[in-house]
Amino acid sequence: MNPYLPILILMGIGAVLALGGVGASAIIGPKRYNRAKLDAYECGIEPTPHALGGGRLPIKYYLVAMTFIVFDIEVVFLYPWAVDFTTLATFGLVAMFAFLALITVPFVYEWRRGGFDWV
Amino acid sequence: MEITNYVVLACILFAIGATTVLLRRNAIVVFMGVELMLNATNLAFVTFARIHGDLTGQVLAFFVMVVAAAEVVVGLAIIVTIFRTRRSASVDDVNLLHG
Amino acid sequence: MPEITAFEAPEIEWVALAPLLIVLGTGIVGVLVEAFVPARARRLTQIVLTLAALAGALVAVGVLWGMLQDTLTAQPGQEAALNPRVLGGTLFLTPFALGAQGIITILAILGVLVVADRTSTGEDAFAPTAAAVPGTHYEDLAREAGLRQTEIYPLLLFAAGGMMLFASTDDLIVMFIALEVLSLPLYVLCATARRRRLLSQEAAAKYFLLGAFASALFIFGVALIYGFGGMVVRGGNPDAIGVRLLEVSSASRNILSQGGSLPDGTAALYLAGVVLVVVGLLFKVGAVPFHAWTPDVYTGAPTPITGFMAAATKAAAVVALVQVLWRAGFGMAPDVVEQLQLAVVVIAVLTMAVGTVVGAVQTDVKRLLAYSSIAHAGFLVTGVVGFATVVDGGAAVSFVTPPEGQTIVAPDVIRGVLFYLLAYGVATVGAFGVVTLVRERSADGVILGEATDLAAWRGLGRRAPWLTAAFALFLLSMAGIPLTAGFVAKFGVFSAAVAAGYWWLAVLGVLASVVAVAFYVRVIVIMVMTPSNEETAAAAQGVVAVRDAGVPGSGAGLSGSGASGRGSADASAAPAGGAVEPAAPASGAVRTAAPEGGLATATVFGEEHEAKAEAAATDAVVVGSRGPAAVAVALCAAATLVLGLFPSLVLDLAEQATRYVP
Repeated sequence: MNPYLPILILMGIGAVLALGGVGASAIIGPKRYNRAKLDAYECGIEPTPHALGGGRLPIKYYLVAMTFIVFDIEVVFLYPWAVDFTTLATFGLVAMFAFLALITVPFVYEWRRGGFDWV
Repeated sequence: MEITNYVVLACILFAIGATTVLLRRNAIVVFMGVELMLNATNLAFVTFARIHGDLTGQVLAFFVMVVAAAEVVVGLAIIVTIFRTRRSASVDDVNLLHG
Repeated sequence: MPEITAFEAPEIEWVALAPLLIVLGTGIVGVLVEAFVPARARRLTQIVLTLAALAGALVAVGVLWGMLQDTLTAQPGQEAALNPRVLGGTLFLTPFALGAQGIITILAILGVLVVADRTSTGEDAFAPTAAAVPGTHYEDLAREAGLRQTEIYPLLLFAAGGMMLFASTDDLIVMFIALEVLSLPLYVLCATARRRRLLSQEAAAKYFLLGAFASALFIFGVALIYGFGGMVVRGGNPDAIGVRLLEVSSASRNILSQGGSLPDGTAALYLAGVVLVVVGLLFKVGAVPFHAWTPDVYTGAPTPITGFMAAATKAAAVVALVQVLWRAGFGMAPDVVEQLQLAVVVIAVLTMAVGTVVGAVQTDVKRLLAYSSIAHAGFLVTGVVGFATVVDGGAAVSFVTPPEGQTIVAPDVIRGVLFYLLAYGVATVGAFGVVTLVRERSADGVILGEATDLAAWRGLGRRAPWLTAAFALFLLSMAGIPLTAGFVAKFGVFSAAVAAGYWWLAVLGVLASVVAVAFYVRVIVIMVMTPSNEETAAAAQGVVAVRDAGVPGSGAGLSGSGASGRGSADASAAPAGGAVEPAAPASGAVRTAAPEGGLATATVFGEEHEAKAEAAATDAVVVGSRGPAAVAVALCAAATLVLGLFPSLVLDLAEQATRYVP
């Protein structure tokens, strides 16, 4: 069997899911249109472009994005450790726990300072 | 195919990133240029790792990615601060200090 | 694919890591203090914690110095007290690096003292909350609520820790991480000024964008060096190929010295990588043509942070520059190293020229100190040009394969650079500490931000004699006047340049120093010998009555007022000022009665420049410090004098560092 065949099958399943979902809602769903439903959705704020110089962008989006990046990178470092866990034995365990503890410190800081309140 | 083509690609990406930093006016686009340069570096690291048959380059690419992420956090904070004050992210407008 | 060999836990020399662990660990504790300590107690806790950590780090550096000396002078067979190469070179404690760590710690302590000062106005130099948009109601609310941005103390500790690591590593990727650790807190700290917040945010944005660009250049150079390293480091454990510069250079040197040649094109790869890394470092040093950020960032950042940045960052960056140049040059062919040396020479010349020439026309005190800082970077790079010198019985020879039994060190460079960094750093922190205390006063008596326009500094000598004396001492030290630390420092770097064979560079350096003396002394003349704006304004009103009284030689009156100094001079100054004031717009020639004729042109030029700016400049007001800044300025002044009179205290220590690699 061609080793690329599973990928083709996966692409096919993905296409069926996507097109099937959109098609099913188009065929079976109710058709009540109003202006609000046809707008682009941007997390509840006014969609871009904003009023010239007057539209205020809530700063909480920035906080969420930055928090995500920092802890995503922490996870990025956890992956190689997970792959080679048994080989790295105790030294790796202690080192990674130290790393996790150090990352938890800014987590606690952000928590106490209300950085997570919106989410 | 020559594997050194990837190094050439990394250099081209680096040059494009540097041009972006020097020529664009929007601060966020300038920062995107910096990120492009850092990604070019990652490509170079991984390519050299492949050439040497050594995994160290990939580990170094990890470190560069982490540093790029940290820089993004701080840099975007500064750019957002400027934007909230001035309503514009153009680097040409940042000209109160001159001389 | 390489085999995954069995994992061996590396040996970590925790003792060697002690200063770094103390500083960075306390930074972490500082973040926890931010999270948990109630707001009232936070500031005092942070200050005590920060100063204790830096003092502890200084003690640790001292202890390590002793241990390192024992190790290096130990007889073979004796047990080493300290292994300077931690983790294969990730931390490489040469005496040069340890000395740099000590200098950075000292400068950090002085800088934190200036940062911690809430002057007699009760406000420090930092915004209550840096996140507030300037000019909004939120900002006023924050100020009334008494918020304080105490996160600056852990940020300062992280920056200091990053600087210490930056100066003492052999591994280029660790150097890159340390570069970011030291830079990112500084980018944030530049944006936290209390007054002139727009300038402060702008300074932070410029520093960040240019700094990120330079870091990207640096890391690409590291990638190229990694490419080169993999091609020359052969044998042994293949998993150990990294970017440890000494390892790469030694391997390259082995190939070259055995008469072989490097594979095609790899020498160019190495040179390109080293050049990019050096460019990134020169940005941090503030050398031309990578100096554009310095004036704007130094002017916009809060003054205590500027003092810390100017002193400590430059120390870390210059030390790293010496190390990278030396270690890279170790592995290159001699003609390539000569080209690299030539590039460094050109940069030194340009930097000295730009720093002194453009600095001479500045009217803003912080900008003037920024350009003088660029000039000092030029003098430091002048000291660095000898990085590849082999000392052969006293006379220097160019970088060739050393004769048998000779090691390649750069003793003059190490000694000169260490002393210069200490002298310059102490003078800089002191000077910016003085600038934090000279404030403007609004029309209704409210003390505003720093008075940075030189016109407001006129006659400061009469209002604040001790402060003016300290500032004059720092400026004279920066100018290199004998009996101050700056003179010994300049002598050191210029003799390093001469030892490298570049005597003409030292001559240029002396010329640049002479030009710099002109604009330093101009500031001193403005402070000491010029009547204050109030006196000239008051005297101009009484000019009719006074002129009839027949004032004796106004020059004598001027020098009389300068000499009588403290307090009582108003009566004698007024008549002199009265006679001078009508004549001043026409020609400053009246002031040529000032002692040195050579200064007359500078004074005239300065006066015309200021006369054009504002007819009625207000006087600066000196606010008292609540303790820390005064202590810091006094310590800096004392250090400048002591190092100038007894330089052997530090020079002997630096001598011990010259026997080993930088």
